[in-house]
Amino acid sequence: MIVRPVRVTDLPALMDLVQQAGPGFTTLPANEDRLVHRVRWAQRTFAEQVERADADYLFVLEDDDQQVVGVSAMSGAVGLREPWYNYRVGLTVSASPDLGIARQIPTLFLNNEMTGQSELCSLFLRHDQRQGTNGRLLSLGRLLFVAEFPQLFGDKLIAELRGSADEHGCSPFWDSLGRHFFKKEFSYADHLSGLGNKSFIAELMPRQPLYTCLLTEQAQAVIGKAHPNTVPAMKLLNAEGFAHQGYIDIFDAGPVIEAPVAKIRSVRDSQALVLAIGTPDEQAPVWLIHNRRLENCRITVAKARLVGNSLVVDRLTAKRLQLQPGNSVRAVPLLKQQQQAVAA
Amino acid sequence: MLVLRPVELTDLPQLQQLARDSLVGVTSLPDDTERLRQRIIDSCASFEKDVEAQGPENYFFVLEDLTTQRLAGCSELLATAGFNEPFYSLRNRHFTSASRELNIEHGVPALSLCQDLNGHTLLRGFHIDTTLVRTAFSELLSRARLLFIAAHPQRFADAVITEIVGYSSDEGQSPFWDAVGKHFFDLPYTEAERLCGLETRTFLAELMPQYPIYVPMLPQAAQDCIGRIHPDGQEAFDILEREGFETNSYIDLFDGGPTLYARTSNVLSIAQSQTGTVQRRSSIDARGRYLVSNDALEGYRAIVVELDVVTGQPVGLSAEMCQALNVTDGSPIRLIAL
Repeated sequence: MIVRPVRVTDLPALMDLVQQAGPGFTTLPANEDRLVHRVRWAQRTFAEQVERADADYLFVLEDDDQQVVGVSAMSGAVGLREPWYNYRVGLTVSASPDLGIARQIPTLFLNNEMTGQSELCSLFLRHDQRQGTNGRLLSLGRLLFVAEFPQLFGDKLIAELRGSADEHGCSPFWDSLGRHFFKKEFSYADHLSGLGNKSFIAELMPRQPLYTCLLTEQAQAVIGKAHPNTVPAMKLLNAEGFAHQGYIDIFDAGPVIEAPVAKIRSVRDSQALVLAIGTPDEQAPVWLIHNRRLENCRITVAKARLVGNSLVVDRLTAKRLQLQPGNSVRAVPLLKQQQQAVAA
Repeated sequence: MLVLRPVELTDLPQLQQLARDSLVGVTSLPDDTERLRQRIIDSCASFEKDVEAQGPENYFFVLEDLTTQRLAGCSELLATAGFNEPFYSLRNRHFTSASRELNIEHGVPALSLCQDLNGHTLLRGFHIDTTLVRTAFSELLSRARLLFIAAHPQRFADAVITEIVGYSSDEGQSPFWDAVGKHFFDLPYTEAERLCGLETRTFLAELMPQYPIYVPMLPQAAQDCIGRIHPDGQEAFDILEREGFETNSYIDLFDGGPTLYARTSNVLSIAQSQTGTVQRRSSIDARGRYLVSNDALEGYRAIVVELDVVTGQPVGLSAEMCQALNVTDGSPIRLIAL
């Protein structure tokens, strides 16, 4: 398996993937025109022909038979072309010392504080490929890419995780809040969001802070709660240093998790090494390895042994990376040390 | 005969009984001897004070049965709402939700805390014995305040407002309070209303929500309370509505009850009341019912009686009426037909 930039020839496979992902996958809808546009745009992005504000790094996960089985993406920056909105869950204290009353009321503050940060998004892995290290490669490969090219990204990486919704796609948070201002069902708002109209809908919402105590109990209960389907993705990023700092999606209240680039494990612990070919033993740890290219970026996972500043991998791994011995790679152990120990 | 007059210190015991009987939400009457005594003292001082421009004066009236000396009701007139501390209300206005790109524009009603009604004259504390509800004496108790304003306009503002008690159940539950105020005050509705009857309302400023409350987010029962009148507040509402008062976009921040507003000069009893002079008569050929006041200050009196009024001529009053109003032949009076 490798992660590499998307190509126009991937379109049929990509269409199959997004159809499998279904309507909840709003950032990559099964619409051929939009998909074509996005793929072309990604190619221009990897060719460094677009500004950071417009950059859209769309990667695919490809097996050794050149079959595309997954997709993931990352933006150069959010909010530079149109406002990017979140709520921050803050606190209002309603207190009267004389009466001995002190109420703590969580309050939602609309903000654009994520402006300029880079967003991890659009991750989908084919159901039959959700095994081994595939999920990690597809998701964390992006982080290693950032480690190699930090100048292309913001100071922080963020990910908006899908919030709670029932099996019909109804969100209790939307029903209690957004619906009153947009007067449409969540699924429609979500659909429009996917078409790039999110900021328009956001502009229908009040600018003033909102007391959460005035939301329904069901809505209050899902604030900052990720949809069960996204919990694995969240855990993966949490282990990398991503944390929920109180920002949520304005529609479904899903958590926005964030991390300063320099503190992300895969960035911080990654190192530039010289590729060597050998036979890493069975006990060797698994590494996430990047060929340090931008347009011809290839990232893979493989057992590897660190010898001095050389990373010893097998021949197939070098082939997957399209590298020769002596070439430079950027690599990081796929798991934290203690996780490696547990895995072993 | 029932006469409306300024409250006196000797009224204290009876007033306390009235305070106990009055509806929760008629917030100006505390069931507390010391506080009531202070209210009376403040009122006496207000009537005695030489006022050139409206200030913090509060004029407290009682309805007394001259035969039994029993008090049958009370009402108040606060010269300036928000003079000593802010007068809060909730303003119900539409927040416009619009997007040209999505071709959407609609209004979402939102309640915002405001002090817009500061400076207006406030009618409040209307309470009448249940046996007199919907009689001419209710009119007397309410409207005599308006005749008092007509007689002493320099003491009052250009606009008059009143808050009508909003809906609460027989058990003292207010759906509006439960959905709004309770979150911020952490108190039962009745307790909050009781605290409002006390002198200092600092706690209001401390605890009120400062950000708008969007109406569609409230439970339906609370939404239904916006502008809804407590059945026992209906008469006070009806009397003032006939006087030309209108509801506007302001509601009470505790129970959602409506606020009534009128330009002082447009209030019926103020604009259309006439002045005249007294002529004592032994018999009166009654042709209609009138509210009559003596235009005095500390000695202010008002009654409701049957009279024979001819424009441009002195107004004939019986000896009993003259005694009740504390007037004699030639005294100035003010009157309006009921």
